[in-house]
Amino acid sequence: MIDKIMMALKSIDKNKNRNFLTMLGIIIGIASVICILAIGDGFTHVATKGMQNHNTKNKVTLEFTASSDEDTKSGFTRNDLAVLEGIKGVDHVKLTSSNPEASVTVQHKTKKTSATLNKSPKKLKLYKGFGTKVDAGDTGNIFISKDLADRAFKGKALNKSLVINDNVFVVRGIYKIGDFEYRPDIYVSKTIFKQLFASQISQDEAKISVNPSASKKAVGKSAVNEMKKFGEDAKLGKYSISHPDQISKSFTKTLNNITYFVAFVAGISLLIAGIGVMNVMYITVSERRKEIGIRRAFGATAGDIRNQFLIESIVLCLIGGLIGILLGYGVVSIINSFLPFKAMVTTYAIIMSLSVSTGVGLVFGFIPANKAAKSPLVGLLKEE
Amino acid sequence: MLKVTNIGKRYGKFIALENINLEVADGEFLAIMGPSGSGKSTLINILGLLDQKYTGEYLLKDKSYKETNDNYLSKIRGDQLGFVFQNFKLLTTYSVYENIEVPLIYSKQKQTNKHALVEDVIKKVGLEGKEKNLPSELSGGQQQRVAIARAIVNRPNLIIADEPTGALDSKTSTEIMNIFTELNKTGTTIIMVTHDSEVADYAMRTVYIHDGHLYDDEKSVKK
Ligand SMILES: Nc1ncnc2c1ncn2[C@@H]1O[C@H](COP(=O)(O)OP(=O)(O)OP(=O)(O)O)[C@@H](O)[C@H]1O
Ligand SMILES: [Mg+2]
Repeated sequence: MIDKIMMALKSIDKNKNRNFLTMLGIIIGIASVICILAIGDGFTHVATKGMQNHNTKNKVTLEFTASSDEDTKSGFTRNDLAVLEGIKGVDHVKLTSSNPEASVTVQHKTKKTSATLNKSPKKLKLYKGFGTKVDAGDTGNIFISKDLADRAFKGKALNKSLVINDNVFVVRGIYKIGDFEYRPDIYVSKTIFKQLFASQISQDEAKISVNPSASKKAVGKSAVNEMKKFGEDAKLGKYSISHPDQISKSFTKTLNNITYFVAFVAGISLLIAGIGVMNVMYITVSERRKEIGIRRAFGATAGDIRNQFLIESIVLCLIGGLIGILLGYGVVSIINSFLPFKAMVTTYAIIMSLSVSTGVGLVFGFIPANKAAKSPLVGLLKEE
Repeated sequence: MLKVTNIGKRYGKFIALENINLEVADGEFLAIMGPSGSGKSTLINILGLLDQKYTGEYLLKDKSYKETNDNYLSKIRGDQLGFVFQNFKLLTTYSVYENIEVPLIYSKQKQTNKHALVEDVIKKVGLEGKEKNLPSELSGGQQQRVAIARAIVNRPNLIIADEPTGALDSKTSTEIMNIFTELNKTGTTIIMVTHDSEVADYAMRTVYIHDGHLYDDEKSVKK
């Protein structure tokens, strides 16, 4: 078998230019196949992962959007919560915040500035000072960012006091915020955060769990209407239903359209490629009538001749397929910088592409190969 | 070796061969002579199982292959026959070695050492050192040696040669005929078409074809 493939490679090599042009269609077709599969696989991967992460099956999220950008306090109140839980079909409601930080005013000596604040993470690397976190029960100490230290203290902030919303704290640590990192300006202990600042954070999301018997849509609608009527902050902003799966739906649609288009391009180019392969194989067969005659006279059966040309056509397509896979791989890495998820070239996609190439070679090589095999011998031997 | 009884061949209305009777014994070296267009190639194509469309009976080793399927015919050609053609009919993009190897590729017999077989015939026809050359890098006589080596590599019983010296000068022809004589001495039956009576002299027996009819000697040919 290997010697037959070598033989095919040799004949293909003999007409490099012509064969390369023939391969172009296959290369483009297979590259398209690789891209489609990569995008599809990448998307499926992300989508299934997302589904597992937050089960949104019977949940409706009601959002409050404040009219003013500076308004970080308005949202849903305890009374609103009671109203929402009173709606028919609602099982229970949980209020959360889309941005769990508090916005505060800080003062050092006479200098006032605004800053963001949150509870201390479990572990933090300090740039100045000691420790890795503000202990849960620590009521007097805080960590601040280097940026805030520069703004409020002109650098020397360690062990100095800072007034936050009329409460005095001592700066025990300074941390740097990396380029790709997000951190608030101030970390306080968990206890202090709960006592003093949690109430300042707007609860701008209401996660409504709907009874299985009730309709999500109807519950969502009446929740919005009830809030418009009774919401305590109704005058400060707007209520709306957020649709996490709606985003992905429209996205899937676009993606499907792109996929259909690329599949169409792939199909057409593979068809044209196939016709090209057939054409080039017809040419090859008629150019090599003498060779066929010689092989037949020295013991080759019609089947041997057919296989020889079929292998040649398949090898031609497989080379095109391999180049196509490489090209597809390149295109995928380029489009990955535009896609919101990562397109993946899987082993399955590669096997699929190689199968498609083989298929094209087989289908479109068959008729010319058969023609070669069926030619009458005496006529072949008269060729020069 | 073979027996031909009352063979006829037509191309449409044209009668290329008529009422041909011929017997060739094992180990014989037969020459077939005749003018151009008389039907020599037509006859040996039938004898070589290259052409199955004829009337009459042809037995090769007492067997008729007229109804044999195409695959089996290929096998018989590969195993029992060896062809040498006038214009060599070598594969121009393949080396000397690869050309000679062709019959072995299709042979279903188990060849334990194909390489040794090829090297052996290369030595027999005196082409040592030319294994890697392309046919275009050889002289006419050397190309015909390649063709002969290819014809004998499978150790056939019968060699069929159509004008093996047709493209060669007389000195080279003599060299080629010496190879044929050597082969014949080792027991290979040879049927050779030629229009050159000097070449025909190397054969044990010569028959003549004229207008599709076969004659045992030149004098009986109707003028
Ligand atoms: N395929 C064909 N169709 C029609 N006529 C043919 C065909 N092949 C051969 N002939 C005719 O049959 C006759 C015998 O042809 P053949 O090739 O056997 O001659 P030949 O004796 O080998 O001649 P040469 O010495 O020139 O090779 C010729 O007259 C030729 O024109
Ligand atoms: Mg002839």
